[in-house]
Amino acid sequence: MKSFVSTHPVVLFLYYISVVFMTMFMMHPAILILSLLGALLFFFMLGPTKQFLRDTGFYLFVFILIAVTNPLFVHRGETILFFLNDNPVTKEAFVYGVVIAAMLVAIIFWSKSYTLLMTSDKFVFLFGKAIPKLSLIISMALRFIPLFKTQMKKVNNTQKTLGIYTSKSFFDRILSGVRVFNSLLTWSLENSISQADSMKSRGYGLKGRTNFSLFKWSSRDCRLLIVIASIFIIVMYLNIKGVYTFNYYPVVSNFEFSIKHSFELSIVLMLMILPTLVEIKENLQWRYYKSKI
Amino acid sequence: MALLQIKDLTFTYPEAEKPVLDAINLNIKQGEFVVLFGESGSGKTTLLKLLKRELTPHGEKNGTITYDGIQVSELTDRVSASEIGYVMQNPETQIVTDKVWHELSFGLENLGIKTPVIRRRVGEIANFFGIHTLFRKNTTDLSGGQKQLLNLAAIMVMRPKVLILDEPTSQLDPIAATNFINTLKMLNEELGLTIILVEHRLEEVLPLADRVILLEKGKLLLESEPRLIGDKLIRLDKEHKMFLALPTSIQVYHALGFSGKSPLTIREGRKFLADHYEATSSDLIEDTHINKEVAIELKEVWYRYERDLPDVLANVNLKVYKGEILSILGGNGSGKTTLLNVMSGVAKAYRGKTFVNNKQIKKYKTRELYRHNLAVLPQDPQTIFIKSTLREDYAEIMKVLGFNESDIERETLKIANELSITHLLDSHPYDLSGGEQQKAALGKILLLNPKILLLDEPTKGIDAFSKKVLAEILKKLQREGLTLILVTHDIEFSALISDRVGLFFDSEMISLDTPIKFFSENNFYTTAASRMSRHLFDYTVTKNQIIKACEYQDE
Amino acid sequence: MRKDILIIGFVILIIAVLFSGTKIQSVEDYYQTHVDDITEDSETIFITIEATTILNNLDQLDPELKDEKYVPKDGIILAKSEYVLRKNDTVFDVLKRTTRHNKIHLDFQGASENSFKSAYIKGINHIYEYSCGSLSGWMYEVNNKFPDQGLSRYKLKDGDEIALRYTCDLGRDLGQEVKEY
Repeated sequence: MKSFVSTHPVVLFLYYISVVFMTMFMMHPAILILSLLGALLFFFMLGPTKQFLRDTGFYLFVFILIAVTNPLFVHRGETILFFLNDNPVTKEAFVYGVVIAAMLVAIIFWSKSYTLLMTSDKFVFLFGKAIPKLSLIISMALRFIPLFKTQMKKVNNTQKTLGIYTSKSFFDRILSGVRVFNSLLTWSLENSISQADSMKSRGYGLKGRTNFSLFKWSSRDCRLLIVIASIFIIVMYLNIKGVYTFNYYPVVSNFEFSIKHSFELSIVLMLMILPTLVEIKENLQWRYYKSKI
Repeated sequence: MALLQIKDLTFTYPEAEKPVLDAINLNIKQGEFVVLFGESGSGKTTLLKLLKRELTPHGEKNGTITYDGIQVSELTDRVSASEIGYVMQNPETQIVTDKVWHELSFGLENLGIKTPVIRRRVGEIANFFGIHTLFRKNTTDLSGGQKQLLNLAAIMVMRPKVLILDEPTSQLDPIAATNFINTLKMLNEELGLTIILVEHRLEEVLPLADRVILLEKGKLLLESEPRLIGDKLIRLDKEHKMFLALPTSIQVYHALGFSGKSPLTIREGRKFLADHYEATSSDLIEDTHINKEVAIELKEVWYRYERDLPDVLANVNLKVYKGEILSILGGNGSGKTTLLNVMSGVAKAYRGKTFVNNKQIKKYKTRELYRHNLAVLPQDPQTIFIKSTLREDYAEIMKVLGFNESDIERETLKIANELSITHLLDSHPYDLSGGEQQKAALGKILLLNPKILLLDEPTKGIDAFSKKVLAEILKKLQREGLTLILVTHDIEFSALISDRVGLFFDSEMISLDTPIKFFSENNFYTTAASRMSRHLFDYTVTKNQIIKACEYQDE
Repeated sequence: MRKDILIIGFVILIIAVLFSGTKIQSVEDYYQTHVDDITEDSETIFITIEATTILNNLDQLDPELKDEKYVPKDGIILAKSEYVLRKNDTVFDVLKRTTRHNKIHLDFQGASENSFKSAYIKGINHIYEYSCGSLSGWMYEVNNKFPDQGLSRYKLKDGDEIALRYTCDLGRDLGQEVKEY
């Protein structure tokens, strides 16, 4: 049972928007680290452990790559470590590289869980609110693509057994591809004519079309939305006040730890691990109910 | 008063010489179940489309069609869209959206109905059709039968008064088809829905119908209650083509010289036979001069799609002899098409060996394997055609085979003559009817001059008469020395033409025998003729065998 | 698939870095440069680096640069100094040599990296373009004139007086006419 998934798409979407916004535009290292932490934790909760480990391994590599590349190309910063081809390689540029890498990897992991959560119907629902026609088109496209793929496979198989243009030569493969494409074109035209008939006969084009969706607004969605919105507003307010300002060049700002600061960061932490908290809470509840039975 | 009233309806397509519908008069009452049948090209589909305004084709229309006393062309958009439902042949192409729930709600959205009402009506219909478990699935993940049920449900949710269906089961396997027809029966009996159905699988449909209508060349040839259709047809023309389309019991009844009201179902057929004939036991006499030369052999073949998926083929052993017709039966998803793909080299077994003419299949070069050797007729004949006319399609393949211009012309005509499709050579392959497409595809395959022919569901979507023609063609090919392997759902067809029949089940070949032995030993998975006559005779699995056995008694 | 591409990209990057000639020096090594001694017959030039315009625009200056380390009280980063002119020296060569000699930070874009085919100064002493408003950046002057050429294309002659000046207003605050392109 994955419970954050069942949140109303609007709340989900707003959550991701605010998290990604904060990750991308607030360069405070603590925020980025919290964001990375939240993204990793939540992805870990969602997916199978094996995939999590594989992905994490790969992105660790990406992380190092970015962290190392930045100081090679950016020569800003006061604390010079050494000179490479007469260009200074600085501590500041390295720190900045690490921070940028953290930001990128955090965004990647957020989008990984986003694609798992925001299934096509939620996406269609969200955009259907704004542009009703578009949502239908997306829905139709989502149906058509797999259909097209299967047909392509079928035609390919048939043409293969006809034994025409089946050698491995480049020229033959191109010709064979053109042939298959031709057939697919005719097929999709046929398909769309009959689909249009099916739509017309069910009254498509009548005035006053409504948009139906399965999503219902619940009180839990309300609570989550309030939490997300208030944290976001507070953080934005503090940001304007300069609380989260942090400089990397020419020297990396000092990171002083105070009680006030720890409050300012803990609300960011709250937002970042919100989905994980929801999951954990639901898991515990579930276990509790089970033990009662 | 009739719900639908058709008066002197004549319809001509633009630039056509003859009208496709000629002076049709027909009244359909509220709650009636009407079955329409006729050859392909008799105007069935055109007639149905004229009843549904949104689908009315271009052309010249004379006469009137009224729905509930109002001309169909003057109905309001809303009434026309919601009160007259239309289900088409291909389950695939009617589905519009990607999710089952969205498909169900599509019509209601168009009508502008509010969300809570849609929610209720969609839930209700999903339960009624037993598709509530599929509610949140992707439409592409459904089976053919489920898709067609979904199409029906997506129309029923709009609460139509009349349901029009154009060969809705032609693309389904027998079990899904029966399920679909039972649903129609329920709709008709429990909701009093008016149903107009075009169908060529009459065996199951006729017992449900109130009235049967036979169209021929745009004219309403016969109109009768189901029990008298055979009688009327025989009075009109003893040798009429469409006689073949009627259920086995009707055919047997009239072939044995009876007239008047005929039995309709298997049960009635059994009673009729028992009333008039005696049980006899006989010995099985079969000429078993099967050529012992092997054309295709599978030795302990294993296959799966992906490493983590279960085996589709597990330890399959099979010998196909030269010059025989072998039918492989089996349910949906039993792996029989995969078996065919392994034999044709499209799918590669991960263990075991496949031999074609005693040479391992993987040792063949593509050219060697598919030219003058092994050919496949795919389930969907449309995938064979690439060009915009049949003639070009044929020419292309022959050019590749190295024929010159005059040879191409000659060979094309030769093969077209053999299959009697000469008049279709200049049409677009997609414009042909199911039976014609099947023949045209077969023609293209035969140009490769194969020795072994693999056919995947060759009878899918074609009518009784085309089936008979196909059977004759296949028999002729066999006489010319070809080996034919069929994968099919069609029990009747396989009983008619095979030398051996096998059942593929649980990823292996579990029984393989001559059709007479195979079907007379099976109790459930057998032909209508066998089920109808097994209480009297031992080895009667086709209607001709019953007729013969009965006539023997008469003498 | 995607991982392979990245790994290959990484390997290519490393190879490219190695082949382009890598020279790693410690900070001390780098700054231990030899400057030609001025003798009687050596040709010389004078160079100044200053950012006095910032002093009038302190409100626009990036807050992290508000430190005398970066912007000295008088705005002078390098007071007028005399250096030996080597043969074929451009403004850029001299600037590189003098900043290195004085351990002043210099960040530039090489001539091959931009479309002007000339080196471009991004920052000196951690003061970068846009560090003091969106119209700010480094400019150079030779003998009180702003040349039309890039600074690695301008060949110097004996006695030239170079000045690198920071502008907060596209050069207008330096008395430069702004040409409309």
